[in-house]
Amino acid sequence: MKILIAFLICLLALPAHALDGAGILKKVDRNLEPESYEMLRKLINVEPDGNKKEFVLYSVKKGRDRIVALFLAPQSDKGRATLRLGDNMWLYIPEVGKPMRITSLQSVTGGVFNNADILRIDYTAEYDVESAEEMQGHYLLTLKAKTAEVAYDKLKMSVDKKTFLPVDIECLAASGMLIKTLHFKDIKDFGGGIRRPATVETDSPLYKGYKSVMLYAQIKKREFADEVFTLNYLPRVEGLRK
Amino acid sequence: MKRVSVLCACLLAGAAWAEEYSFDAAEFEKKPFEFGGYLEYKPDRAWLNRDGAFYVLNGLERSTLDRNAATLKLNAKYTRGIASFALRADAEVRRDELSSERIKRFDEAYVSLKPDPGFTLDAGKQALKWGKGYAWNPVGFVERPKDPNDAELAREGYTMVAADFIRNFDGKLRTIAFTPLLLPVSGAVNSDFGKPGHVNVAAKLYFLYRDTDIDLVYLGRGSRTPRFGIDFSRNLTSNLEIHGEWARITDFEKRVTDASGAATTQRESVTSSLLGLRYLSENDATAILEYYRNGTGYTQSQMSDFYRFVDSGLSQLQTTASDALLQQALNLSQSGYGRPNPMRNYVYAKISQKEPFDILYFTPSFAAIINPNDRSYSLTPELLYTGVTNLELRFRLYVLNGDVQTEFGEKQNLRRVELFARYYF
Repeated sequence: MKILIAFLICLLALPAHALDGAGILKKVDRNLEPESYEMLRKLINVEPDGNKKEFVLYSVKKGRDRIVALFLAPQSDKGRATLRLGDNMWLYIPEVGKPMRITSLQSVTGGVFNNADILRIDYTAEYDVESAEEMQGHYLLTLKAKTAEVAYDKLKMSVDKKTFLPVDIECLAASGMLIKTLHFKDIKDFGGGIRRPATVETDSPLYKGYKSVMLYAQIKKREFADEVFTLNYLPRVEGLRK
Repeated sequence: MKRVSVLCACLLAGAAWAEEYSFDAAEFEKKPFEFGGYLEYKPDRAWLNRDGAFYVLNGLERSTLDRNAATLKLNAKYTRGIASFALRADAEVRRDELSSERIKRFDEAYVSLKPDPGFTLDAGKQALKWGKGYAWNPVGFVERPKDPNDAELAREGYTMVAADFIRNFDGKLRTIAFTPLLLPVSGAVNSDFGKPGHVNVAAKLYFLYRDTDIDLVYLGRGSRTPRFGIDFSRNLTSNLEIHGEWARITDFEKRVTDASGAATTQRESVTSSLLGLRYLSENDATAILEYYRNGTGYTQSQMSDFYRFVDSGLSQLQTTASDALLQQALNLSQSGYGRPNPMRNYVYAKISQKEPFDILYFTPSFAAIINPNDRSYSLTPELLYTGVTNLELRFRLYVLNGDVQTEFGEKQNLRRVELFARYYF
């Protein structure tokens, strides 16, 4: 009887202490950005000799897996627009005049960030939580890609316990090789209840000495029509800006 | 004192950080009038093919030809409410050792009304690009031909009225978009599109179905003979894309000559198609491979007859000093034989390596256009550097090779080298 009671107590106690990794990841997604938003950010590629190249992007997102990004600078890239619908990605170059399919592993800007980083959709849309561990001051989530189409097979995400915001994310290939690490810094209040890191830095053992940085200037909740997230709309994304 | 020093160091470090990575969003506020463009300078040298049919037709009589070209492209856009006006102007000066040419035109100039995200109405001159192929687009029914050697070059549009309806759905069919258009042709408007006195009707119906882009395209009978087609594009994996096009042209007319210069107009319904792959390797090399079946092209024997006719014209010029036959051949060249890739079958291959040896913004590439029927080919290695903001530097070499009476063996050039610097403002 004693053994049975002890067993029942253990059963009841287990769910109370087991970490809800999926719940943490959902919170991370919503704390980073609202589900539908418009955003202004700068992407900086830094070379080992200190030379920099900067890109400014206006992005709009709807739902968990629809995002468009428009290049505002430099002049040589102005008007380029990229669209992501789930695993599908396209690039529109005004001179070429029609969208062409691109892949998540390519990079429209060069440097360490690839298209999957620049057109990031919700982590819960692309990854399942494989394991969740409680560490000192943070949770460590191990995420596994839902399909082979996803850019990184695995993510090791360190999440701050207090803010439920990511601190570092290691991006791994299926072989286990580290592709890059993302560092989230400089938490800032963007208004409208959005408080998140304003700087994301990345480095990669594949690009020794190189670094890429994303600076977030504006993030606002905003709703968009579904038709905005289509190939035919890509040449007209500029019209969404207010 | 130590504490003050540490505090000062921290403050300085913070300031350096802020300076290093500053972002003033106010600089990027939307303005109703936007303006930009680029200035390009391109010198090139061609080593001429003195045995080539097109060398003879162009009456060159020299072994090299140097050329300088300057291009100014201006883009402007004015937006007010649901209306916008877009303009793309082109001004070029080309000068070689034999002649000079000035071009001034609007590539695009159109008004756009967008009362709803799902509907747009455009009126004016605009460049529509249909099809999924990189080097060729058999379904590009309402656009000027693409140069496969410079497939991403901006092209001049046609004057038209076009509408665009978009609808999105949840499920396997995610998007439908319908783009009908009217394209008038007269002596003054779109005169190079085809026969004057017609208002041509064309349309494109786009679907995004099961992660595949599909377009159905149509051009009705008018200035050109009727035609319809389909194209598709799909990512097979995260680094492999497949695309294709198929077009059927009814009553296609083609001027054909025999070896003596007796030209006839052939009329037949033809089919063109294209199948292509785009692959991205782990080390960021992109490969494009396309096969193009050009139903409107000439057969090998038809091209051989044309080359023999040019030889006859040259013999006539040398023996009688009359260029009558050569003039006739030149007219035939302009009616079809002289267009880029005028034959039936082609293979296009391009490999580009992004940032090799960790050199950021440097992209070497190598492209080949092969005519498998006569085994002639053109090779194009290229070096591109975009490391300086708003400046693009490109070096390109063209090497053409083929036997007598083959496509690339009869072209005007043996080799051509070009440099270009393009500055965006």
